[in-house]
Amino acid sequence: MAKVGVYVCHCGSNIAGVIDVSAVRDYAETLPDVVIARKDLFMCSDSGQEMVKQDVRDGLVDRVVVAACTPRTHEPIFRAAIEKAGLNKYLFEMANIRDQASWVHGHDHEGATEKAKLVVASAVGKARHLEPLEDKFVDVTDAALVIGGGIGGISAALELANMGHKTFLVEKTPSIGGVMAQLDKTFPTNDCSACILTPMMVDAYNHPNIETLTYSEVDDVSGYIGNFSVKIRRKQAYVDWDKCTGCGDCAAKCPAKTPDEFNAGLSDRRAAFIMFPQAVPKKAVIDMDACINCGGREIGSEPKLNKKTGAPILAPCEKACPADAINRSLPLDPGGRIKEVEVGSIVVATGYQVMDKGWFKEMAPDSPNVITALQLERIISATGPTEGKLLRPSDNQKPKTITFVSCMGSRDANFHTYCSRFCCMYMIKQARLLKEKYPELVINMHFIDVRTAGKDYDEYYTGARRMGINFFKGKVGGLEMLPEDKLRVLAYDMESAESIEYASDLVVLATAVELPEDAQGLAQKLGLQFCGSNFFRELHPKLGPVETSTEGLFLAGCCQGPKDIPDTVSQAKGAAAAAAVPLAQGRVKIEPIISEIIPENCSGCGICVPLCPYDAIAMSEWAGTARAAIEMSACKGCGVCTSACPSGAIVLHGYEEDQIFAQIAALTSGGRNHAG
Amino acid sequence: MLVEQKKIDEAVATIIGFGGTGILNCVQCGACSAVCPGVKAGFPLLCRNLIRSLLNGQLEEIIEDSSSWGCQACNRCTEVCPQGVRPQEVVFAFRRYQANELAFSTSAVTSQMNLYETGHAVFTDPKELRRQVGLPEVPPTSAFNKQAQEEIQALIDNGPMGELGLF
Repeated sequence: MAKVGVYVCHCGSNIAGVIDVSAVRDYAETLPDVVIARKDLFMCSDSGQEMVKQDVRDGLVDRVVVAACTPRTHEPIFRAAIEKAGLNKYLFEMANIRDQASWVHGHDHEGATEKAKLVVASAVGKARHLEPLEDKFVDVTDAALVIGGGIGGISAALELANMGHKTFLVEKTPSIGGVMAQLDKTFPTNDCSACILTPMMVDAYNHPNIETLTYSEVDDVSGYIGNFSVKIRRKQAYVDWDKCTGCGDCAAKCPAKTPDEFNAGLSDRRAAFIMFPQAVPKKAVIDMDACINCGGREIGSEPKLNKKTGAPILAPCEKACPADAINRSLPLDPGGRIKEVEVGSIVVATGYQVMDKGWFKEMAPDSPNVITALQLERIISATGPTEGKLLRPSDNQKPKTITFVSCMGSRDANFHTYCSRFCCMYMIKQARLLKEKYPELVINMHFIDVRTAGKDYDEYYTGARRMGINFFKGKVGGLEMLPEDKLRVLAYDMESAESIEYASDLVVLATAVELPEDAQGLAQKLGLQFCGSNFFRELHPKLGPVETSTEGLFLAGCCQGPKDIPDTVSQAKGAAAAAAVPLAQGRVKIEPIISEIIPENCSGCGICVPLCPYDAIAMSEWAGTARAAIEMSACKGCGVCTSACPSGAIVLHGYEEDQIFAQIAALTSGGRNHAG
Repeated sequence: MLVEQKKIDEAVATIIGFGGTGILNCVQCGACSAVCPGVKAGFPLLCRNLIRSLLNGQLEEIIEDSSSWGCQACNRCTEVCPQGVRPQEVVFAFRRYQANELAFSTSAVTSQMNLYETGHAVFTDPKELRRQVGLPEVPPTSAFNKQAQEEIQALIDNGPMGELGLF
């Protein structure tokens, strides 16, 4: 007969503030097979754990129920405790009387206490039927995949590589660098973005443990922690990168123009292009959406011949290439090619996009002098369309008055309710850089609030006030187009409670940070979930900020939520450390809370095979007949197959039939003791 | 000013009761006031500032302020509000509160009386003008129709305006 010990936790006032803990303890004592029931202020404290361990060591109990908080955070703690005391750690059950009773029934102390008793009775019912289980282990592939080559992905990849793990760094554009490569300077120290980023890009690219795959996207991911198989689509560049030297001659000769993404659409690039001068790798790409197939040189076509000389007529890009890297006669596959890699863990660092100004109809989006902050960043950057000179787009004249508008699409119930978090700081940065360079420039900044939480950030803000930049508290309500391409700013000064109206030469909108549209598809491939703000959801907002609900899959940077460069790098290094754990261990533990097929009972009907959401079940031969079999390392213990099996041939360990029926019996007993 | 929770709760409940249901959504960003023609015209207690006063519990203190009657009902505030406050509804709720406390100008009372008696808030005798242009002297409106007047009075007597005790 089982000897169940029940330990009821006050959790300070979290539980005891609502629930009569003594009454629950007294009740637990009366339950069948319960040999001891105790309570403690904090069961998870050292003394609380010691209490349980001592009872185990004394041989008083051989099944443990802790009535406290959520197993998500605390089950591992108590399992470890009883294991140390010499008991199989799966002979433990948690009754969550905090989330399921005290938190949700805070207004009804008596009812919550009664419910807590039922929850405890249910856990005791299950505990009486628990069987010892053993952890299982599988080997891992000692390699990691980092998706996204911005500062987050680069940081994570370097960290993993420096720890000695082979790392694949996948980036969808032709160069790593991400948004940071587009920035002029970075707050709060005004370091030149390129000066601090470019060396890291080069380090990552040249690192012996990093294989950088740019102009590539993740096509498919299968497998599980320790053993992921990843299909990476290496997009068709139409330039042989083994030969390309990055000289840029093809771009210089290409006549086809299209808006330059790197300059946020402020200027044009060619169809044949190198993403930016400091690109890593510095390789050319031909953008077939923009290419006009000069000379009828469609890909895979035979060149026409010059009627006089008989020489083949080549497109300007192939003619210009001194390295012979462009050959449009080759039948290049527009889909590129697939590279398959095996990795043990994955870091997702896919970054963000900013909203387009077109969303904000009240902000005169048709005026060329209304720009996003990222566009201003390109204007003030030495590698930008004006080579760093502040010139407004409509007439290339230097503005006398410039206006910054915060919270465009952030903190707005019509778009995104969240704060985009780093706009206040980058607006102040841009204003400071401009004021330093052009002291006579009038800079008006309009904020709902100035949010500058961060090391040295508020000093940066107050410094901006001392520089003579004008700050107004109050959201801009609208912009109106005026003659001479000026904008009428309709604003408000909260402090004086007066409306403000003036003409501005250039208006900068701090548009909201959001997840790029293509992240949706990636989420499906990886099994990522979304949070309420439509970023990727972490495992736990406080205690699992880099983990996800899929083991072996980690998050870094803005794909998890808006964050600036210091926070992104911190999180990326954290994600890398977490992703390195299974690689360093060499094997991963598979919890035995998984399903097992009893082949003797299996009829081989195969119903379970397509039902498994993790593709963990396949038919295999057993004693000469076809039987379903579960790949233990892929099984997540969801129980779908167990409940669907018409033969009752599948056992979900840890949730076996008698255990679940005992729980149901206890929950439906109405609080009466149920000896069954 | 003291922060008195009782007064704040009362002000909020009053405004919500009169239809300003979004008042607690306000984060005081000021976008409404940035586009408000009334604010521009110099009315001190419109939109953002009215809501601030109400959220400070200053319901009675501002009851005599006439800013609310400067609202032109253009609703631009509602368009630009990022939090779904519907500021104009708050202004109108405050007006209803003022009206219920008879805190409006005497000229407004006169027009209410006109409405009650003739069915027109503003009314001038049209007979002379109508005769000049060859129309029947008596126009087909409630002003000259006893039954219509009685019906209008019945409507007003049995509506919220009747409760003001003006008539």
